[in-house]
Amino acid sequence: MDLKLYLNLYALLQRDVSTKEQQRAFGLEHAVLKHKPIAQLAAWEKRYIDLLKRPLLSERVTSYLYIMTFLLGTLSFILGLFSGIALLSYNGHEPVNVVYFMAMVIFFPLFTMLLALFAMFKSRSNSNILMHLTPAYWMEKIAARFAHKEESFKKHFNMDPILAKWIVLRRAQCMALLFSVGLLLALLGTVVTRDLAFAWSTTLKITPDGFYAFLNMLAFPWREFIPSAIPSLELIEHSQYFRLGERLSNEMITHVEQLGEWWKFLAMATLFYALFLRTILYLIVTIGYKRALKKSIFSLEGTSLLLNNMNKPFITTGALEGEGVVFSVSKDVQMLRELESVYDFIQGWALSSSFLEVLNEVMKVKAQHQVVEVGGSNTLSQDSEIARKSFGKVLLYVKAWEPPTLDILDYIELLLEYAGRVVIYPVGTENEGYQAKEKYIQIWVDKISMIDTSKIWIKVP
Amino acid sequence: MKKHPRFAVVGHPNKGKSSIVSALAMDDSVQISDMPGTTQKQRSFPLKVDGKVLYELIDTPGFQRPRQVLEWLQKEKVSAEKREERIRLFINKYENDERFNDEIELLKPIVEGAGIIYIVDASKPYGQEYETEMEILRYTGQPSMALINHIEEADYALEWKRVLGQYFKMVRTFNPMSVNLENHISILESMAQLKEEWIRPVKEAIELFESYHKQMLEKSCEVISHLIYDALSYKERLSLKNEEVQESEKEEIEQKYQASLRQLERRSQKKIEEIWNHKNLEKTQNILAFEEIDLFSKEAASVFGLTRQELVVTGATSAAIAGAGIDLLFMGHTLLLGGAIGGLVGGVGAYFSFDKLSEIKLLGQKVGKHYLQMGPMQNRNFPYILLGRALYHLFIIMHRSHALRSAVELDEGQAFKVEWLNDALKKDLERYHQLFRKEIVVEGEKLTEYARVVQSAIGNIDNKVLNILN
Repeated sequence: MDLKLYLNLYALLQRDVSTKEQQRAFGLEHAVLKHKPIAQLAAWEKRYIDLLKRPLLSERVTSYLYIMTFLLGTLSFILGLFSGIALLSYNGHEPVNVVYFMAMVIFFPLFTMLLALFAMFKSRSNSNILMHLTPAYWMEKIAARFAHKEESFKKHFNMDPILAKWIVLRRAQCMALLFSVGLLLALLGTVVTRDLAFAWSTTLKITPDGFYAFLNMLAFPWREFIPSAIPSLELIEHSQYFRLGERLSNEMITHVEQLGEWWKFLAMATLFYALFLRTILYLIVTIGYKRALKKSIFSLEGTSLLLNNMNKPFITTGALEGEGVVFSVSKDVQMLRELESVYDFIQGWALSSSFLEVLNEVMKVKAQHQVVEVGGSNTLSQDSEIARKSFGKVLLYVKAWEPPTLDILDYIELLLEYAGRVVIYPVGTENEGYQAKEKYIQIWVDKISMIDTSKIWIKVP
Repeated sequence: MKKHPRFAVVGHPNKGKSSIVSALAMDDSVQISDMPGTTQKQRSFPLKVDGKVLYELIDTPGFQRPRQVLEWLQKEKVSAEKREERIRLFINKYENDERFNDEIELLKPIVEGAGIIYIVDASKPYGQEYETEMEILRYTGQPSMALINHIEEADYALEWKRVLGQYFKMVRTFNPMSVNLENHISILESMAQLKEEWIRPVKEAIELFESYHKQMLEKSCEVISHLIYDALSYKERLSLKNEEVQESEKEEIEQKYQASLRQLERRSQKKIEEIWNHKNLEKTQNILAFEEIDLFSKEAASVFGLTRQELVVTGATSAAIAGAGIDLLFMGHTLLLGGAIGGLVGGVGAYFSFDKLSEIKLLGQKVGKHYLQMGPMQNRNFPYILLGRALYHLFIIMHRSHALRSAVELDEGQAFKVEWLNDALKKDLERYHQLFRKEIVVEGEKLTEYARVVQSAIGNIDNKVLNILN
């Protein structure tokens, strides 16, 4: 898991490169990774990475971060080296005040590490003042502005600010580490190449005894192993320096060969406070960065859906293919509003004789020759016989609520061969008072209009 | 022959076959029309899990010339075991004959082993002509059941049941227009009983179907969770032409801000409709209103949001809890002032933010680029209104049958808020709303937690509301 994975996933999820079905197929193909979401996402990224345009966003961002880290790291190292040389500069008249160097290798690192720790705990906020106190944050801001990179990346991509903070925090520890290496090298180099006389001086009322106890406390990590790296009370007494008088005390001059012994303490202090503790913090920040990276990956829009699609059964219920659209062209059909009182034949499609009798009574119509049921339980030959015997005007009742099937259309076409005129009358149910609903009549009108003849009429209300 | 259970949905034209298939397959692409003969080809709707078909529903055209088919089948007397062969012969003989296109299409899956689901409409009287169709189906010898559909109000179910009982092993009632998970599963269970070998696969399908339903609900709640977060944290920016801010620029940014929030809502609704397979939905809906019905008026708040009084109580309670944390930290030595001050500040804040959308800030002066920014959303009532609308939409969509073709009316229902928003939920929600409003990045985990709260809100809504809304 690295930053590249995060950036590539971001780019791939933006592009919607695979369907749900493909995602599930991928999940099944990599079933062993089911409970390792990061590994699963990494495998998925590897599968689709080639679909992204080159140069990849991840390549551009990581190369920018690498160059930036390299430049800022080198700068920090040089700064550390020169700061160390400046702090240890010895003109032969005044000794080197160890308090300055201690401040740089003990107190300043402890303070910045404390800031970093607070920033780690408060790292969720966007406007984190602690982050703004970090020199690395501003160095990077300035460098990014000079390189015109920040705005250019923002156009394409907005990195999760929490992750961005951890990147800055991590880089800040790296820079501080290199700065301290510079300081240590400056100390060792100066010690080797020059004859230094260290002293301690302060305006505060601190007795040598008190200072000895304080240094002993600071040296607790190494006092058991390297006792020579703790200044003795005698050395502390001999190396106290007062500016007033503008001359070195006789005691100092008498013990001048001891004054250089301080370097061991300073070197150990640099090693422990500036380097060892910083390295520990760097490792902690690296762990925090990895966690932030993991959370950022899961917080990317689409990640949880992708994992969901890969690990849960892909269920579909819909049709496999689309449905053809049916168009029907209806022509004009002759409509009749009033029935005549007498028809040659009155027939009812799937309507019983008793029902037909009631209908005729209600509609006040009579048949001159025959009232008969067609369709329904009749055989085809029975219907054919009835049609063949029909002539003149035929009134054909149909159930309006039943849609016209091809069976009835076949019969109407046969009937039209023999009858002079056929009136189709869609009737409603008994409960409806035999009055058909408008929408059902319309269906019949549409269907009957498909029969191309002037001999057919439809009764409408 | 296919191994998985197959069910051919057959019947007279216009009796709701396609509606039933549409509802059971959760597919709203099926053509449903009053005009007979809309379905001309059999169409398969498999329930597939990871590519494996668990069962298949087949929509078929209605019988058009059943008497001719039965007459042909009965022309030669054959023993029961030879009947299937006779049907195959009919299919082979008339496969290219347009007259029997519909019958061939509906008989083919049956002779291939599909179970029969015969659909009738019990809102219309029974007629003898149906017997021919039922005879043909009985002739096939395939396991069968009848489903009674009620397209209209009238009820002739009793007479239908008397007849159907003579022809079918099982007779069930099913309304595709108001199908819910429970009766959907009940029908699937009945279908499983048609053949012994089908019990296991259909039972398996039912279990998966339930988890599918759960998946859809979870996904929808995730979408709503993102909507609330995106809307509350959304920031609109407008570059200024001059150094001085013009009144028209303030209006412009406010309009853009509101339009973006509406867009977020629409997008989330679309996603939810896709999750529930409602891809062809037509909607009539009031848009998220800021002016028409003042979003922060008592009327609007009473529909989906909280009233000023409720908001003050919620704000005060949640801030008091935070303050009480401080009291606890100092072991009560603060004389419980933390809780009291917290409550007061929260309540007052909620009171004054009741009718404020968000501040319009002038930003970028330090770097020489002047622009206005509006957002994140300061109005504490807004998330409740947005969430209420989202839940309402989800509730309607998840309960909407795929057989319905009418437009969805998303009018605001008065009873809705009362059902889902209780005091405990308000406290839970307020905690997240406060987090979303802060200018911080909220982790995916938090959004998932919020989605769970949303899901519990959906759980608070029962069928009573559905009845009120309908």
